[in-house]
Amino acid sequence: MSTTTVGGPRGPGPRSTDPRGSGSRDPGSRGTGANRTKRWYKARRSLQGVSFVLPNFLGFGLLTLGPVVALFYISFTNWNVFGTAKWVGLDNFTRLLKDASFHTALLNTLYYSAFHIPLTLALSLGLALLLNRKLRGVAFFRTAAFFPYVTSIVAIAIAWNLLFSRDAGPINQILGLFGVDDPPGWTASSDWAMPAVIVVGVWREMGYYMLLFLAGLQTVPPELHEAARIDGAGAWQRFRNVTLPCLRPTTFFVTVMLTIGSFKVFDLILVMTNGGPGQSTLVLSQYIYQKGLVENRFGYASAISVVLFALCMAVTVVQFAINRRRNA
Amino acid sequence: MRHRRSRWTAIAAAVTALTLTATACGADEPADSGGPVTLTMSAWSMKTTPEFAKLAEAFQAQHPDVKVEFKEYDATNYDTQLTADLAAGSAPDLYVLKNLKNFITYQAGDQLLDVSDVAGGLGDKVNGLGNYKVDGTTYAVPYRQDSWYLYYNKDLFAAAGVTPPDKTWTWAEYEQAVAALTTGLKTAGSPAKAAYQHVWQSTVQGLALAQTSGADLVSGDYGYLAPYYRRALQQQEAGAQVDYGTATTNTLQYQAQFGTQQAATMLMGSWYVATLIAQQKKGDAQSFQWGFAPAPQADAATKDNPVTFGDPTGLGVNAAIDEGKVAAAKKFLTFVAGEGGATALASIGITPATLTDPVTKAYFGVQGVPTDELSRFSFTTHDTRAENPVSPHTAALQNILQETHSAIMSKSTPVDEALSQAGNRARTEVLESR
Repeated sequence: MSTTTVGGPRGPGPRSTDPRGSGSRDPGSRGTGANRTKRWYKARRSLQGVSFVLPNFLGFGLLTLGPVVALFYISFTNWNVFGTAKWVGLDNFTRLLKDASFHTALLNTLYYSAFHIPLTLALSLGLALLLNRKLRGVAFFRTAAFFPYVTSIVAIAIAWNLLFSRDAGPINQILGLFGVDDPPGWTASSDWAMPAVIVVGVWREMGYYMLLFLAGLQTVPPELHEAARIDGAGAWQRFRNVTLPCLRPTTFFVTVMLTIGSFKVFDLILVMTNGGPGQSTLVLSQYIYQKGLVENRFGYASAISVVLFALCMAVTVVQFAINRRRNA
Repeated sequence: MRHRRSRWTAIAAAVTALTLTATACGADEPADSGGPVTLTMSAWSMKTTPEFAKLAEAFQAQHPDVKVEFKEYDATNYDTQLTADLAAGSAPDLYVLKNLKNFITYQAGDQLLDVSDVAGGLGDKVNGLGNYKVDGTTYAVPYRQDSWYLYYNKDLFAAAGVTPPDKTWTWAEYEQAVAALTTGLKTAGSPAKAAYQHVWQSTVQGLALAQTSGADLVSGDYGYLAPYYRRALQQQEAGAQVDYGTATTNTLQYQAQFGTQQAATMLMGSWYVATLIAQQKKGDAQSFQWGFAPAPQADAATKDNPVTFGDPTGLGVNAAIDEGKVAAAKKFLTFVAGEGGATALASIGITPATLTDPVTKAYFGVQGVPTDELSRFSFTTHDTRAENPVSPHTAALQNILQETHSAIMSKSTPVDEALSQAGNRARTEVLESR
């Protein structure tokens, strides 16, 4: 990420913020009328800037930064909402190492992410390529692909659960047409509940990422395609050697967002399977919710949140490092 | 540098001023102990839950000097929102303990006032009062005590040619009746099933815990659940009831299953009486003859006082209440848990904690409540055990048992294996780890 400094060291004259300051050239002129006006002018400009940022920063500070900082502290205590929080050191973290349910939730989260990320990435890119052409009704198809993303998650869960119904669901009826005699129980089966949730997760989110890829595709210079075509490159070669490299910033952004989103998956699973059957779809966010808001063990829940935070952070840092190396 | 510091000082001052202004708005005025008192009380979904307004109205008719005002919370997130308010010091003077599972959190967190004096004056007709007693001190009083019945559709029993339940039904007799209903309904050409078992863990675990001698939720030994799960699975297999997978994937509503005559019997809490009456009146449920019987018993030994389960709904006083309001708050508690509040609740079809003759009369005076002898017996005579016995481990153990329930009912894990896993998890994750 780059930052732009308005009126920075190399900015135009009146905005110059030369670290030595104009007074350093002539100490005797400090406090003269002209300099006071200049300082007042600068201060006013800074205040104007701060006033624009302040509402957002206050909200961020109070509702995000503060709680996140507090979370780290609470994770080392046994706080249960009421009363004082007793410092327990690393107890919560050592308990996590032995907690079989936490291990299940962690593995399930990795299982979900391992399929959800590549599938969503591939399908959203595919959709974007398909809908980046001048086709009749392309606007309709783009809207249709984006629609699941803006649909209520509860409605999605009810509709998909009906589709996945073992005996009367259309999905199993279609599988029956293809000769599948013993179709899966989907959300009512511990083996098939996670694949079912992944399918719905991919379906719901690919429209959103398609939109990002569509925006990215607009930045691919048409003359590169033109040149490649003249050189005799086929569609696949043009995709591999022109489109994909040009899309790298978008792909990177989508991958980072998808990874964080997958690790934090919560609402979809809560309304579709509530973590079941058994613990077959229990994920980290839901485990945090259970321990914190259901059992009021906020210290322990915070420790799990710290682990989830560290996981997201580690993967994101690795992704940034890989991206930097590729760009170098 | 000085310039920058003064800027930050100005910003900090502005933020402090804003915060002070905001908090000043929320400050309570001290109550005037001499004049009329206004009590605040928590509530949820007041449009569809008339009990709160009914209690306040009946109380104020007797005590015009005390006014009860409500602070409405979201029904689903009630405990979360109330906890946040209590922690922030902005919770109402009186708050409802919606379930027994979270009572211990409020009690152990010193958020409830000692109301032993109120409890001492209530007499022995209040069901569920003992649940709120910790180390000899009572922290809340119950105003409603729901318990589970066996609802049955008289028309479907007649169509299938099966004798309706009586007050002495054991599980063995229930199983025979369900088998007879399954064939009888099929012969009569009815699409209805013999029973509907909702997807909640309570439908199996509640009665198992209440009816099995020596069963203890916090023991970590869940073998007592096995016969109840075997029966449920066997009835699924036999087609006597919709299977768990279908009920979850189709998001079946129990009200629709019984209300539209999809099932001849259903185990459900006493709150469903008022719901079914309202739905029949509105046309959301079909019109048919129905009644409720005691839940089937493990054996005939308990036939005179059938054992069932259900958690009371209680009312406690916020420990941070203004001193001047305590007397009025305790007066209100005495009213809601006593016969006055119970009669008011019974008159709108709610099962109150206090059951006396005038209360029973008021309940069966509600239009639509089945008035047959069996329904009257079920309402007045039962031994209701808590579904969530008060313990600091209950919430966590019920979580484990909820997962166990879905694993067994979806046939993902065999009964004995799932119960043994639940016991292991209870010991390692809850009982021994804290």
